Amino acid sequence: MTRAPFDPSRIRPPEEPKTETSKLLTVSQLTALVQRAIQSALPATIHVVGEISNIKRHSSGHLYLTLKDAGAELSCVLWRSDAAKLKFTPCDGLEVVATGGVEVFERAGRYQLYIRRMEPRGVGALELAFRQLYQMLAKEGLFDAARKRPLPRFPRRIALVTSPTGAAVADMIRTIERRFPCVAVLVHPVKVQGPGAADEIAAAVRALNANSVALGGIDVMIVGRGGGSLEDLWAFNEEPVARAIFASPIPVVSAVGHEVDVTIADLVADVRAATPTAAAELVVPVLEDVVAELAALERRVRRSAENRFQFSASCFAGLLKRSPLLEPALKIRRREQLVDEFAHRLGRGFVTRLHAIRRRLDVCESAVQRIAPHVFLRGTARRLERIESRLNAGLSLRLRLGEREWSRICLRLFARSPEAELRRLTDRVEGLARRVPVGIQLRFTRLTEMVESRKSLLSAVSHESVLARGFSITRVKKSGAAIKSVAGLRDGQRLVTQVADGEFESQTVNVHQRELFDETCPREN
Amino acid sequence: MSKRKLTFEEALKQLETLTEQIERGDIGLQESIDKYEEGIALVRQCRDLLSHAEHRIQQLQQRDDGSLQSVPFKPPASTE
Repeated sequence: MTRAPFDPSRIRPPEEPKTETSKLLTVSQLTALVQRAIQSALPATIHVVGEISNIKRHSSGHLYLTLKDAGAELSCVLWRSDAAKLKFTPCDGLEVVATGGVEVFERAGRYQLYIRRMEPRGVGALELAFRQLYQMLAKEGLFDAARKRPLPRFPRRIALVTSPTGAAVADMIRTIERRFPCVAVLVHPVKVQGPGAADEIAAAVRALNANSVALGGIDVMIVGRGGGSLEDLWAFNEEPVARAIFASPIPVVSAVGHEVDVTIADLVADVRAATPTAAAELVVPVLEDVVAELAALERRVRRSAENRFQFSASCFAGLLKRSPLLEPALKIRRREQLVDEFAHRLGRGFVTRLHAIRRRLDVCESAVQRIAPHVFLRGTARRLERIESRLNAGLSLRLRLGEREWSRICLRLFARSPEAELRRLTDRVEGLARRVPVGIQLRFTRLTEMVESRKSLLSAVSHESVLARGFSITRVKKSGAAIKSVAGLRDGQRLVTQVADGEFESQTVNVHQRELFDETCPREN
Repeated sequence: MSKRKLTFEEALKQLETLTEQIERGDIGLQESIDKYEEGIALVRQCRDLLSHAEHRIQQLQQRDDGSLQSVPFKPPASTE
């Protein structure tokens, strides 16, 4: 048995009953019917238990609020006159017993409880839930200050976990763009209120961590939303969000509602920002500040390097001043010192020689004095003096010339530094030094010879004149010494006696010294 | 120095460190010169990072495998 295939064209919609125009109701008519139905069905005074939320105090003084429990919400109004009679300040999360009557607010098409009296009833359920979760997570250490991580100073990529349509995301993006445009922003869209919002937020935090590397590395994330009622912000008070933030390796900044709103997410996050805009300011620096800081750092590195180089340069200059390797003048000065010393020694040599010659002249003079009469002696002495003064003049001229030569050499030594030049000069100096004494020596020898010849001439002249007058000179033949005394004479010594025209030999006999006043002493022939 | 491109933060940190090293003067002259050159290169690198990083705003979409892909995002008008 087969079934015919399904053919929608063969299905006919059921015949719709025709509505008579007279049976149509306007919205106002229906609303009025609902109002009458409510008034007849409900007592004029009702007591309702519920938690206050979305409480708003209008500038007129009227209070608008919502009473709720886990399953339903009820709009409520508290007129100014009744609100003034309240003994406490009603606030969100507070569980209360409200007394009043239900009426329809035609313009909004909804029924409302017009509260005349209100009493608090313990603590609100959400408030209680918050406190319970807070205590549990605190005990587990989710709020520990030690766990908080510092935010990166210069993030490259920032993730925003928030509603893609809210004002919060716009505020955050605008703030980030204004302060630090060189950063990437990733928006992870989530539902931020209502059922399932907490799970979505928690999943987004986990997904961002899991995909961070694939997305190029997320440095920090902001989790949050703009302002709203406690109910609106409630997702951020739920455990899954707290756990996800706690487990996030990426640092998390929370930004939920306004300054006064503190949620569990705020307490777990690494940093709590008062508002989404404040969160954006916390995660990025101001670009101009960073640029200025960089410029300051650049100046610092340049200055420090310059200082370092200058220090090294002055060290080098100091070293240069001290280094003998880099100072050729010092070498020259050492040579100069040598030359000076040599010159000094050379000068001393001259003086020594001069003294020696003077001594010899003195010897000559005394010899002449011993031999010659005073006339001769004076004339000879004068001549000797002349000779001596000429000798002295010649010597000092030579010395002066030598000194001049030295100073010229020294000047040239100072003026010219190359070592070859120095060596050449030194050689020349040494050559001169060698030659100078030789020249002097020659001259001395000549002078000495001259003196000697004069001396012998003088001797000869003196002999002749004296001998011609009958005197004779007797000398010991062996030593040639003229005999002036018997002292030192022995018998039998050979003598040579010189007379004016010749000489003869004889021998000593009977040598004896004459006693004083001894008249009897025989005369020598 | 590794070939890996430094982040701005790392570059800045390195710049600070080597500036302090030069300032303390406990490194040699040659090393000072090297550090100085390195520092100037880092400054240039930091400037590049600041000026060349393009500002991108993107929205993430979850793929079936749980990975995220990014698409351009136009933020709604700000309230402020």
